[in-house]
Amino acid sequence: MHPDEIPPGTLYMLILRTLARGGEMHGYEIAGSIKKISDDVLQVEEGSLYPALQRMLVKGWVVAEWGTTEGNRRARYYKLTAAGRKQLEAEVSQFERMVAAIARVIQTA
Amino acid sequence: MSGSGGLFSELARRLGMFLHREKFDGEMDEEMRLHREWKERELREAGVPPEEAHYRALRETGNALRLREESRDAWGWNWLEHIAQDSKLALRQLRKSPGFTIVAILTLALGIGANTAVFTLVHAVLLKPLPVKDPGQLYSLGDTSMCCDTTDFADIRNNFVLFSYPLYKQLRDNTPEFSDLAAFQTAPANLSVRRSGVSAPAEPFYGEIVSGNYFATLGLEAYAGRTLLAEDDQPTAAPAAVMSYRAWQLHYGADPGVIGATFTLNGLPATIVGVAPPGFYGDSLRSDPPDFWVPLALEPPLSPDNVLLNQTNHYWMYVIGRLKPGVPPARAQAHVLLEIRQWLTSLVGVSDFDRQIISTIVFTLPPAGSGVTRLRDNYGEGLRLLMIISALVLLIACANIANLLLARGTANRLQIAVRVALGAARGRLIRQMVTEGLVLALLGGIAGIAVAFAGSRAMLLLTFPSGSYVPIDASPSLQVLGFALVISLATGVIFSFAPAWIASNAHPAEPLRGAGRSTRDASALPQKLLVIAQAGLSLVLLVGAGLLIESLRNLEHQKFGFEPEGRLIVRVRPASAGYTLDRLPALYRQMDERLNQIPGVRSASLALTSPLAGWNFQTPVFIEGRVPSANPSEDMSFYDFVSSRFFESIGNRVVRGRALDEHDTPTAHHVAVVNETFARKFFPDQDPIGRHLGISDPSHGGDYEIVGVAEDAKFTNAKKPAVPMFFMPLLQIETYKDADDQAYQIWANYIDSIQLRVLGRPENYERAVQQTLADIDPNLTVRKMIKFDDLVNGSFNSSRLMAQLTTVYGILALVLAGIGLYGVAAYMVTRRTSEIGIRMALGAQRRSVVGMVLRSAMQPIVLGLMVGVPAALAGGYAMASQLFGVKAYDPLVLGGAVAALAAAAVLAAILPARRAASIDPMRTLRTE
Repeated sequence: MHPDEIPPGTLYMLILRTLARGGEMHGYEIAGSIKKISDDVLQVEEGSLYPALQRMLVKGWVVAEWGTTEGNRRARYYKLTAAGRKQLEAEVSQFERMVAAIARVIQTA
Repeated sequence: MSGSGGLFSELARRLGMFLHREKFDGEMDEEMRLHREWKERELREAGVPPEEAHYRALRETGNALRLREESRDAWGWNWLEHIAQDSKLALRQLRKSPGFTIVAILTLALGIGANTAVFTLVHAVLLKPLPVKDPGQLYSLGDTSMCCDTTDFADIRNNFVLFSYPLYKQLRDNTPEFSDLAAFQTAPANLSVRRSGVSAPAEPFYGEIVSGNYFATLGLEAYAGRTLLAEDDQPTAAPAAVMSYRAWQLHYGADPGVIGATFTLNGLPATIVGVAPPGFYGDSLRSDPPDFWVPLALEPPLSPDNVLLNQTNHYWMYVIGRLKPGVPPARAQAHVLLEIRQWLTSLVGVSDFDRQIISTIVFTLPPAGSGVTRLRDNYGEGLRLLMIISALVLLIACANIANLLLARGTANRLQIAVRVALGAARGRLIRQMVTEGLVLALLGGIAGIAVAFAGSRAMLLLTFPSGSYVPIDASPSLQVLGFALVISLATGVIFSFAPAWIASNAHPAEPLRGAGRSTRDASALPQKLLVIAQAGLSLVLLVGAGLLIESLRNLEHQKFGFEPEGRLIVRVRPASAGYTLDRLPALYRQMDERLNQIPGVRSASLALTSPLAGWNFQTPVFIEGRVPSANPSEDMSFYDFVSSRFFESIGNRVVRGRALDEHDTPTAHHVAVVNETFARKFFPDQDPIGRHLGISDPSHGGDYEIVGVAEDAKFTNAKKPAVPMFFMPLLQIETYKDADDQAYQIWANYIDSIQLRVLGRPENYERAVQQTLADIDPNLTVRKMIKFDDLVNGSFNSSRLMAQLTTVYGILALVLAGIGLYGVAAYMVTRRTSEIGIRMALGAQRRSVVGMVLRSAMQPIVLGLMVGVPAALAGGYAMASQLFGVKAYDPLVLGGAVAALAAAAVLAAILPARRAASIDPMRTLRTE
């Protein structure tokens, strides 16, 4: 099955949620994690993931630090900040409100 | 917000990234590489063959370059990168056409430099605050454009600005709105200074009498020693003075021994208690700043002949106040006015009429942070004219560069069309062309700063007359550099935006289709308009220069009424050497005798003031048998006290009656000589000889018998018509009831100037004169020695410099207009080469081709003249007050300017026209 596009506006939320669960992760792990947990439904393109991570760095939602992988390779690890956690809560509640609203519209139809 | 949130921390993060942006790309690439490798490994592990896994990983990660760009985008520094790229491109473009670049930069350097130079002066003269603590809290009591003293407060009822010492004390002690009120003389006075225990003669300095709290009010600390204190300003205190830093450096070699040393000031021994801070030139920006500050308590011993200090009815000081923080100036103003009125009403002998005047008194409290007397009043007009001229030059420069850019833009049309056709965004093209303009403008601005620093020095000469001290720093300041930057950027946008817009608006298909041959041309009209504007502006400048030159020539060759050649003027003040009135007759007799005995001196004389000395005494005059005018200001005349050979010494002819001579001694019959203007004014159609005049009040109308009429001579101002004037023999003194008139008369009998008519070069007599004076009394201070013709010419320095500057700018404008016109004509010929070729193939004569090109080149010039002539006439009327003997409408000047412009235009068009005429029709047709 071909994986779906990430719905617009939800990429930050997905990354934030993934980092909230997994602690420090590098880009490949984040993409893999999203794909795995969504049962291969959601696939994050590299072309979206890395610019998004940079924008989140600017916003101060995540911080990055270079560390070493298990295979002893240098990799950039991303970690959630307090501001990022707050942003995640805001985005999740907004998303839930919207999903509930959409659901109501569909059901009444 | 902690660390990660907030605008400020976000800015800090962005800045951090910017500082490490070299690392950024490398780190991004490394991250991508790792990602790709992991992906490749994963694919291989899933059973994909190694080679395919490699390419699939590459493909799926996408364009690494774009990814890096987009990631970098997140940090918001791309605009800066684009500017850097555009600038680099612009520099490359400019290097490709060095001729254009050099002309453009030079043009801009002159335009921006002229404006920056003027701004340097405007900033220093008008905008810079005094170097004191919290200048914003300083307020002047009254608008201090008025000088110098009065005994009648009715004189200052419309602007109460002069204060007597008792009134000052009253205000100081009863206005809680001010933390301090300081009083000081309206202008520094002559001070003859000698360091005790040193054999050198006394030297002339300027001293200012100030209240003891003067330095405290301004918030100044001494550079060395201490400032004056309230305790120094007591009648019983030991005499103390503060020296200016400048005098300390220049005259005493920064000798620390000066502090605590005793100096003799006008014969009075006083201790120098300290040196004022560097950069403090007094309460006003002026060309004769005080060298010494002495307390008010020393006013009586320093000027024993005219003591003002404790006189209730002498208004002679300015007062400056430091407002307490938070006090509204309006409240302080109202309170001070109330105090002034109460104090005046409480004076002895106030009449009902006086009371009425007191109730109409107007008092203001203007800010005094930039100094109390404003140079703007004295020098504003010259600066304003300079500002207008330099702005005009910059406009012409802008028009010229815009024109060159237009021509270039049209030449690059094909290139631009190709880029537009390939999808370049219009905005991007405009941005790049404007960047090119800005780079050019900045380069011009840098060169302009160099021009400005040379120029502002020259202009200082214009603002301050020759020889005087200039308390202005013409070196680079942050504000001036900022101004140059802003004006450069504004210039760049102005001259590059229109050409960029026109060039980028070209429809891409058109030039491509016509292969650079299309006859329609969007930039032809703006180019012509620019040349019209340039021609008009150049004409205005040329006419202005012509009028100023004409005016200067008239000034220099006018009938002065005296002979400046072969004469020496020596300024000397016995008043500063401690002479009292009773010792003057012997001194004058001795000076007259000894100076006339110097070999080669044909005639020497003494006088209160000589022509164009810069100051004169004026009084209402009363004529026996003539009813005085109701308003005494209508009967004003200037006057002078002179010795017997005065008229001969300055070369002023006596046209009727006799000159003053050696028989007119102090004890002889009192006589006077009047000038022609005086005779015309007071004795229309009558013979003044034998009539009598006098001063102070009508009962003195018979004091002096008029024995002669002297030719009108320019005493007060060489640029204005002669004023009524009368001359009395030195020390023929009357007794007046009015104490002030009496004091003035005595003061006026202290000479200030010696005039010598000599054989040969006047400068050869300087030593002999100095020696003679020193022999008479070593305490006589020679303030200045100058050749009479130098003095006269010096009074035209500012007119001369103004004429020269305007001429330089006028020629510059003419050259720029010529270059602009050449550009347009040359471009037109290039564009119409094939058309001309066809015409010639069809039998057109070369001469008619030249005529055609000339005609179309002259068209914008003629239009420019039509705009420029009325503008130049208007400009002439606007500067009429600066002109001498020239009418605003001068057909010769106007005709000359038009001819110069026309000649420049023909010269600029003739080269392209000749090129057009030399077109080989066969070759042009072949290339079709």
